[in-house]
Amino acid sequence: MKLLFTLTGSQLEALAPSPGEKLVYCVPADLAYDIQAADKNTPVADRYETNVFLAVTNQRLVVLAGDQMTYQTKLKDCKKIRCEHQVGCGIITVMDLEENETCIARVSMRQIVRASYAVRGAQAIVTSYQEFGDAQRAEEVTSSEYETYCEKCGRALPGTSTCPYCEGKMDIAKKFMSLCGGFVGKLLLISLSMLVISGMNMARPMVQRWFIDDALSTGKGTWTDLWVFVGISFAFLIGAILLEVWKNLACIKLGSALSMSLREKLYCKIQVLSLSFINKRKPGELMNRVSRDTGRIREFFEEVFGYMFSTLLTMIVSLVVMVTISPVMTGLSLMFVIVVFALMKIFWHHIHMIFHRQWIKSDELSNSIQDIISGMRIVKTFGTEDREAERFTKKAKDYAQTQSRNETFWAVFFPILTFLLGCGTYVAVLFGGRDVLAGKMTMGQLVQFMTYSGYLFGPLGWMTHLPRMVMQMVTSLNRIYDVLDEEPKIKDRDGSKEIAVKGHFQFEKVSFGYNSYEPVLENINFEVHPGEMIGFVGASGTGKSTMINLIMRLYDPDQGRIVLDGVDLRDVKVENLHSQIGVVLQETFLFSGTILDNIRFAKPTATLAEVIQAAKAANAHDFICKTPDGYNTYVGEHGYNLSGGERQRVAIARAILNNPKLLILDEATSALDTESEFLIQQALNRLIQGRTTFAIAHRLSTLREANRLIVIDKHSIAEMGSHNELLEKKGIYYGLVTAQLKMAEGRSESSLEKIGDGKTIENVVE
Amino acid sequence: MSEDMDLLDLNLDDEFNEEELKKESEELLEMRFLTKENATFARTEGGFVSLKFGDKEYKRIGVYLTFPLTNPEEFISIREADEKAKEIGMVEDLKTLPKDQQEMLREQIRLRYFMPVIKKIMEIKEEYGYAYWHVETSFGVCRFTTHMSGDVVVSLSESRLLVKDIDGNRYEIPDFYALSVQEKKKLDLFI
Repeated sequence: MKLLFTLTGSQLEALAPSPGEKLVYCVPADLAYDIQAADKNTPVADRYETNVFLAVTNQRLVVLAGDQMTYQTKLKDCKKIRCEHQVGCGIITVMDLEENETCIARVSMRQIVRASYAVRGAQAIVTSYQEFGDAQRAEEVTSSEYETYCEKCGRALPGTSTCPYCEGKMDIAKKFMSLCGGFVGKLLLISLSMLVISGMNMARPMVQRWFIDDALSTGKGTWTDLWVFVGISFAFLIGAILLEVWKNLACIKLGSALSMSLREKLYCKIQVLSLSFINKRKPGELMNRVSRDTGRIREFFEEVFGYMFSTLLTMIVSLVVMVTISPVMTGLSLMFVIVVFALMKIFWHHIHMIFHRQWIKSDELSNSIQDIISGMRIVKTFGTEDREAERFTKKAKDYAQTQSRNETFWAVFFPILTFLLGCGTYVAVLFGGRDVLAGKMTMGQLVQFMTYSGYLFGPLGWMTHLPRMVMQMVTSLNRIYDVLDEEPKIKDRDGSKEIAVKGHFQFEKVSFGYNSYEPVLENINFEVHPGEMIGFVGASGTGKSTMINLIMRLYDPDQGRIVLDGVDLRDVKVENLHSQIGVVLQETFLFSGTILDNIRFAKPTATLAEVIQAAKAANAHDFICKTPDGYNTYVGEHGYNLSGGERQRVAIARAILNNPKLLILDEATSALDTESEFLIQQALNRLIQGRTTFAIAHRLSTLREANRLIVIDKHSIAEMGSHNELLEKKGIYYGLVTAQLKMAEGRSESSLEKIGDGKTIENVVE
Repeated sequence: MSEDMDLLDLNLDDEFNEEELKKESEELLEMRFLTKENATFARTEGGFVSLKFGDKEYKRIGVYLTFPLTNPEEFISIREADEKAKEIGMVEDLKTLPKDQQEMLREQIRLRYFMPVIKKIMEIKEEYGYAYWHVETSFGVCRFTTHMSGDVVVSLSESRLLVKDIDGNRYEIPDFYALSVQEKKKLDLFI
C-alpha cells in the first residue's frame, strides 16, 4: 500500500522543509476537518476533501490543505500520535508532552488503513526521539496490504496486488503461457484439430453447392454423383464429429490437469506461506482460491477454450464467403442481426437485473431457512413458530412471484429474438430466390449462402458472453497467481543451519504486531535456561499466545531478536526447529484417522512400543485400551468421537512421542473437569522434566510447577519471578490469584446454597 | 480447588480486591445520568470536549450513541477517552442540556460518526462482479464501489436503506420511496 503520495511544487513549498528534513510518509485525509476553528467553532464539516494530506517528515507532522499548511508540530514535542478508529471513520490525534490531545485530521474508511500506517511511522519517529534524542533509529514502516482500488483505472481490485485490467495484461499473458507450459504439445494438437474441424465444416457447403449446381440442377447427374456426394458429406460429418468428441475430451482432460496442477501448487504454497499471510485473509477466501478459482480455470478450458478459436475462425470465414457470394444479401441478413443485437442491448440490463434479483431472493430464502432451522430451539422456546412461518411464507411467495415473472418474460422474449434472426434468413431467401430465378445466382450458391449464414448466426449468442468468460478466467488466474507469487516471509536463509536444541532462550528487545500498525508485544527482554518451565500469565488479548507463536517461529519479530542456544532463531532451519518442539494447543486438533495415526503424526516411523509409551506418559493408555478398537479407534473428523479430555490426552501423547526438547502448552488443560485436569497435570509434570517448557494457563493452579512466571500486561512484561516472589510483590499476579480464589470460594458457596434450596423445596413438596 | 488454597495460604479476608471488584461491578450495573445539574461540558483547544462531573474532571471524553440509527439524541453514553472507555454516565436526552453544551456534544457525534446520506444516485454501473456507484451525498459528490452480493444494501426499515462499500464505509438512503423512478431502477439490482 502506498504511503508516500507525491506533493505538488506549491505544496512542497508550503511544507517548507528545513535542510536535512525529509518527507517520509504522505497520505490523504479525505474528510474535512478545520483544525484552526477547533477551539471556538465546530471543526467538523460534512465535506469530502480531495487535496488534504497528512505529511510526516523526519522532524515534523504536518497537515497540508491545498497549498496551505494548516497544522504542524515537531515530533520531538509529541508524546503519542494515534489514529483512532471511530464509527465509519478515523481521526488522527496528537498528544503533546503535557498530555493535551488535539485532533488534527479525519479520514473515511477508504483511507483509514493508509493513515494508520503513516501514524505508526510517525510514532516510531516519536519513540526514537524519546529514546535516543534523534530520529535516526526510527524503523521505517511499510505496508504489505493491498490497495482496494486500482490507481490507474479506479476499478476495485479483486484481492490482488496488480489490476487485472491495466498493468496485468502482459503479465497475465505470460502467466497463461507459463500455465500452459507443460501442456504445449496437447494445446497444439487441440488447436490443429480445431482447424481441421472448422475446415471440414467449411468444406461441406462447398461440396453441397457443387452437387446441386453440377449434378442436380443440370439434370446430368448420375447415381455415382449422388453416392459420391452422400459419401463425402457423410465422411466429413463423421470425421468432424469424431474429431469434435476427441477435442472435447482432450479439453476436459487438459482443463482438469491444469486445474489440478494449480490446485497442487496452491496447496503447497499455502502450506509454505507464513501464518501472517494466511491470517490476513479470511479462511474462506483461501479455500475459494484453491477450489473455486481453479475450478473456473477448468471451466474455461472445457467450455470456452475448445470452442473459442474454431468458432471465431468459422464465423470469419463464413462471413467472407457470404460476402463473395452476395454482398447485398449479406448486408440484409446482417441488418437483422443488428436489430437483434440492439434489442439484446436494450433489454440486457433488464434481463440481467431481473435474474440478479431472483438470485438475491433465492439467497434470502435459503438464508432464512438456515436461520430458522439453526435457531429452532430459540423459536420453540419463545413460542414464535407462527410468526416465523408467516415471515418465511412471505419470502417464499415473493421468490415464487419473481421467478414466475422472470420465466414468463424469458418465454416471450426469447422466441421473438429467434423469430427476428429467422426473418433475416427469409429476407435473404427472398432476394436470393429472385436472383436465382433471374439466373444471376445458382441454386447451389443460395444453399451454400444459407448454410454459412447459419454458421455465422448460430454462435452469436454465445459470443456475447465471451468477454465476460475470459475476464472471469483472468481474474481467477490473477487471484491464484497472487498466492503463488507471494514470497514466504519465514523461510530458511542461505546460512541457516540445523542445531540440536538444548533449550536456552533469550529474548532481546523483541517487538511484534500482527498488523505493523498495531503492536502486540513491545520491547520484551528475558532469558530462559535449559530445562526451565516458564508460565505466561495475563488477561486475554495481552499477547501470551503471540509470545508462543514467536517462540515456535510461526512469525518473526518486527524488531529485536530471539536467540536459541546462541543462534538467532531466524538462522535455524525451520523444519529442524519444528521437529524438536512439542505443542499442545488450546484447541486440540486431531486429524481424521485412527488414534495411532494421530499419535504418530510427528514421527510416522515410531514403533508401536514407542506409541504406547507416549500414550502412557500422557495418561491416555488406559482410556485407549478400554475402547473396543484400542489404538485403531477411528477418531473421526476433528476427533469428534473422543471427549475433550481424551482428545487433549491424545494431543499430549502426540506432542511427546518425538521426545522434543521444547514443550509448548497453550491452555493445554483448559476444557477439562477437575479430575481429568489432575490426571493430565500429572502427565504434564512427568513430561516437563528436563525440557524447556512454555505454558499458558488461565487457571493459575496449572502453573504451579513453573520455575518462573511472566506476567504480560499492556504489551510488555509487567512482572517476572517465581510464584512466591510474585505473591510477595502484591502486584498484578497477586490480584489474579486472589480473584481466582474468591471466585472458587463464591462458586462453592453458591452451590451449597443451591443444595439448601433444593432441600427446602423437597420439604415443601413433602 | 481446596488444594490451591492450602498451597497459597492466603488471608482471604484481605480487604484489597473484593471490595473494589464489587464496587466496580455495581458501578457497571448502575444507571448513572449526567444532567445539567451535575455535569458541565466544555470545549478543549484540541477539538474535543472535557467534562466536569461531580468532583471529577476529565480532559477528554468519548461520546457514544447507544441507538445511533433510531434514537441518536437519547441515552448518549459518555465514556473515558482511553482504550478501556469506561462509562462515566449517560445523557438521557440531549435536549435537556444547556444549548451550547448540546452543540458541543453534537459536534463530537459528528466527529465520531461518519455516515453520508445519499441524496441523488447519478449512476450505478456493474462490471465484473463489482458495482460502481456515482452519487451525491451530504458530503458532496462521491464515487464508491460495492460487491454484487445481496448483503450490500441492508434495509433498516421499510424505506430506509444502508449501503456498504468495499472499504467498509456506510451510506444511508433515508427514504427509498422518495427516490425518482430512474434512481429506484438503478437500485433494483440490490433490492
